[in-house]
Amino acid sequence: MEEEIQTQEDPSYKIGDYMPSAGIVGVIFSLITFVTGLFFGYQQINSEPTGSFFSPFMISSGVICLISALAGLLAVWHFTREVSPKLKLGQGAVLGFLTGAVIAILSVVFSELWVMLFDPEYTDKILSSLIANIEEMEMPSAQKNDMIDAMAESVSSEQSILRQLFMGIPVTGLINLITALIGVKIFAEKPEEKF
Amino acid sequence: MANSKLYYFLLFAMMGMVFLSLGGGIWGADQSIGHWTGVLFQSVCHQDPARSFSVFGTPMAVNSRCFGIFAGTFAGWVMIPLLPMFNFKNKQGLVVLLFAVMLQILDYSGNLLGYWENTNLSRVLLGGFLGVAVSLSLSDFFYNDNQT
Repeated sequence: MEEEIQTQEDPSYKIGDYMPSAGIVGVIFSLITFVTGLFFGYQQINSEPTGSFFSPFMISSGVICLISALAGLLAVWHFTREVSPKLKLGQGAVLGFLTGAVIAILSVVFSELWVMLFDPEYTDKILSSLIANIEEMEMPSAQKNDMIDAMAESVSSEQSILRQLFMGIPVTGLINLITALIGVKIFAEKPEEKF
Repeated sequence: MANSKLYYFLLFAMMGMVFLSLGGGIWGADQSIGHWTGVLFQSVCHQDPARSFSVFGTPMAVNSRCFGIFAGTFAGWVMIPLLPMFNFKNKQGLVVLLFAVMLQILDYSGNLLGYWENTNLSRVLLGGFLGVAVSLSLSDFFYNDNQT
């Protein structure tokens, strides 16, 4: 009886309790961001170089960041609907971080699978298209060369899967942790005032 | 202060994020993209050097808008314990946050459609506003204005 009250008034959850929400929302959001990235990626590959900053690839970065930041918020919404309406701030933080970690891991996995199974030249085609676009930009050639070098370096650094995994988790996790706190504010049941 | 452990954990995490977003220049690198600081942020930012501030001559690991958001969130977080001094009432925190998000989308879209051209300064200021709005919208978890 006492334990039941403890569960109701001061809920404590194990990592496994968070995983359905973190997992489902993480899978959905990593799929959405992956498909969005692919859509803009192939638009980039098939576009003529215009020299504009707003290439499809650049637009996709903003869109993907905005979408994936909402995952923490929605994971809290899912948790409060499916597991328990009571969620403390720290618990929301854990849920948000886990959701971000799931997204970071699955995004890398999906990308690698796409390149391995469907389009091994995808990365090279993106790089060629981005370089062609930069070459059309109106800027000093030294700056242009720096940008091209940086872009090539960026794409080649993506080759290391483990590096992407471990470096991607902290920032994506922290951003989703913060949006999960906003989720706790909006969706979680507020504790009753005690007088 | 309520939830003080989480407050201080996030204070240091945000401080670290702002510091690391300064990029490879701090660590003597010529570029942030490809440097480990750049890899940290590559999944959340396009990192275009032409739209980023530079530190010691090296473009930062994030663009000016993202840096504004990170720095603004950190600045807002630092301000939370000071809010009682200003008798701050967090009644419309989420509304202000929504307004800040809409402002970002409007600025991004206006620039994309060619209505205006934003600059590093305008992007960092708008990003900073969003960051501060995020922190202040969460302030009542740590500081209850009813306690004053």
